[in-house]
Amino acid sequence: MGVPSVSIARERLRNLLISDRIQCAPDAVDRLSSDLYHTVSKYVEIKPEDFRIEITRTDIHIRYMGEKN
Amino acid sequence: MGEVIVITSGKGGVGKTTTTANIGIGLSKLDKKVVVIDTDLGLRNLDVVLGLENRIVYNLVDVIEGNCRLKQALIRDKRFPELYLLPSAQTKDKSSVSPGQMKKLVEDIRDQFDYILLDCPAGIEQGFQNAIAGADRAIVVTTPEVSSIRDADRIIGLLEASGIRQNDLLINRLRVDMVRRGDMMSVDDVTEILAVNLLGVIPDDEQVVIATNQGEPVVGEDCMAGKAYMNICRRLTGEELPVPDFSKPESFFEKISSLFHRRAGER
Repeated sequence: MGVPSVSIARERLRNLLISDRIQCAPDAVDRLSSDLYHTVSKYVEIKPEDFRIEITRTDIHIRYMGEKN
Repeated sequence: MGEVIVITSGKGGVGKTTTTANIGIGLSKLDKKVVVIDTDLGLRNLDVVLGLENRIVYNLVDVIEGNCRLKQALIRDKRFPELYLLPSAQTKDKSSVSPGQMKKLVEDIRDQFDYILLDCPAGIEQGFQNAIAGADRAIVVTTPEVSSIRDADRIIGLLEASGIRQNDLLINRLRVDMVRRGDMMSVDDVTEILAVNLLGVIPDDEQVVIATNQGEPVVGEDCMAGKAYMNICRRLTGEELPVPDFSKPESFFEKISSLFHRRAGER
């Protein structure tokens, strides 16, 4: 029995959908993410590990975890 | 006023035509007046799945070009209360019909039926544009595979861009045993990634192949796919039915399914 293949499928699909949705190469998504991080970090105190972007069919969401309790 | 529903997928071979046939028959069994329209010009198939291939005289292109009246082209399926087929043309190509003409046809017949189901061709070219032109809502068919889900996402984007807001997902050919092993994406995986409303799940069922061989429907029959298609039809008519969660190990469906697959494996 090998590793369940479903996690590989999910990962490949997520990457495909992101680049399909904004019609660009996967590495452009990483550059977009890093540019957005730098822009947001000018105004908001954030750590890279708390910053995440999410691309849907109609929106780009910027998520950052604020103060943790 | 009837509701116009396009059954689409992007990718070919995921079960659009089988779904159109079974939902059409199921709705007719629920005493709705239904017409199913094959919009795949040049690759006519819905008539074969319905077992009506020997009764075709006129087709969709004949109606649109005015070679016949709609009544002459509609084939009444006598096995069911009120089910009609408007077949596609086998010898014409996709450019014989325009989105505007399709939209007009649908508007013209709207008041005569409760449901108008449009079987969409694969792809995103003119055949797709024709099929969605007159639709109020869409059923997007996908199988739990990367390529099929990817195409479904693309199709949903195109539907939304065309102003079709109600896009429901139908997950076809789910293998419960493979989901449990971690070798197939689950219903939750697919719906989470696509973020659309789930209309229903059709478990992989050899009865579908057997029924299609015979030109008979599976909907309403005493098998997993037959029950699942009937539930989808009931949801379309507004009944609130929960979609069974096939990933839960102790569900009734799962037990039946594992029994079924074990038996199939023994042969």
